[in-house]
Amino acid sequence: MSEPHDRRAAVTGIGVVAPNGTSTDTFWKATQGGLSVLDRITREGCEHLPLKVAGEVRAFDPSVTIEERFLVQTDRFTHFAMAAADFALDDARLGQADTSEEPYSIGVVTAAGSGGGEFGQRELQQLWGKGSRFVGPYQSIAWFYAASTGQISIRRKFKGPCSVVASDEAGGLDALAHAARAVRRGTDVIVAGSTEAPLAPYSMVCQLGYEELSREEDPARAYRPFTDAACGFVPGEGGAMLVVEAERSARERGADIRAFVAGHAATFTGASRWAESRDGLAHAIRQALAEAGCAPEEVDVVFADALGVPEADRAEALALADALGAHGTRVPVTAPKTGIGRGYCAAPVLDTAAAVLAMEHGLIPPTPNVFDVCHDLDLVTGRARVAELRTALVLSRGLMGSNSALVLRHGAVNA
Amino acid sequence: MTAQITVEELAALMKKAAGVTVAPDLLLEQGESGFDALGVDSLGLLGIVGELENRHGTPMPPDAERCKTPRQFLDLVNSTLMAGA
Repeated sequence: MSEPHDRRAAVTGIGVVAPNGTSTDTFWKATQGGLSVLDRITREGCEHLPLKVAGEVRAFDPSVTIEERFLVQTDRFTHFAMAAADFALDDARLGQADTSEEPYSIGVVTAAGSGGGEFGQRELQQLWGKGSRFVGPYQSIAWFYAASTGQISIRRKFKGPCSVVASDEAGGLDALAHAARAVRRGTDVIVAGSTEAPLAPYSMVCQLGYEELSREEDPARAYRPFTDAACGFVPGEGGAMLVVEAERSARERGADIRAFVAGHAATFTGASRWAESRDGLAHAIRQALAEAGCAPEEVDVVFADALGVPEADRAEALALADALGAHGTRVPVTAPKTGIGRGYCAAPVLDTAAAVLAMEHGLIPPTPNVFDVCHDLDLVTGRARVAELRTALVLSRGLMGSNSALVLRHGAVNA
Repeated sequence: MTAQITVEELAALMKKAAGVTVAPDLLLEQGESGFDALGVDSLGLLGIVGELENRHGTPMPPDAERCKTPRQFLDLVNSTLMAGA
């Protein structure tokens, strides 16, 4: 990238609340171990719906870390976001005392696709069951896509630039890119990422119209992208927040630079037009690599979008070949989301967290539940693969037609 | 339903509508910073007012949402309920 080196966007903190772990450590252990936690949906009021399998966050008690007055005002997706932001800031060693000195130098960017469906449903039931006087005032903010950005910044007293990206699942990557841009423009720290809570009755009914959704009832067979048995995707909840920080700020305070956000690009090819997503994704990959100053051969691992719809999987495999040439069929590809479900905007942020951890550990996590790959890809299956990883490419596509690519460089790479 | 709102009732409403827990006997000792210092924001106070209106079946004065302290709030709300009784 062309910006001065001291304003490069570094990742200095990771916070995860995922179906397979409600801390970054447990998430990584489960991810590198190839553990699948996809299971029958147990959330109340969902039993009768035709969507049976998902990745639920079960080991999460928001009241352990979040004050009751913030819990009362917010939906589950914001509970995840506030907790993940706390974890990320702790990981980056940015406490209240550090951030309160210069509140304008720290902001928040999130992406959301599902919003606060559970909170919204409760209040709408009050509206239709009892009348408008029985709808609580916090309904006005809790179910909006912007709620998590707002509540994180209010709760942590951040006054820097805040925004919300609404661009489909790929918005998770776009939020990280937006954070990197804000850092390059002069803000020292942006807390960025996405969390989702789409597993509540109203939110689930909203998803039932997606033809890409897997209706398979066996958790081990429900989400198997890149195979002949691909039958759609399984949704998941939770997500991740990252601390994206100017390199100079990180170095001055002696923080660990975990990775650099080196390049990004996004394209749009239309809702459910998966064959067309090939060109859109390939274009995004080329542009992201160009921005990162990265040759195709330098990509050491790809975290795939892995939708699990045959036409979409084919398009993604071909996009990799189009953008990376022969290297596209040789580079290791993985999709750990087959073990936890696809958390809409949160999915590519969890992939980004996993990519940073993979580079740190020199280990590519496998793709759970996937065995016989039917595309010309080196998909990592079964168990994690040891590899020296300096550059990772994370891909994401949205059901509404967005395609994004993000290039990460290992923190020790001085490129 | 009694016509007067007690400090205990206000404390219970603050917990329910705004997620703020304060012992009733401490409520009236709040100084000028009042609701702000306790963490009850404008939407929280609006929720408390709405809940009271539903319980007592009578509208509260618009100024109720602008009260700064629990004492101010109780004085205003109770005088309204007295007048209506």
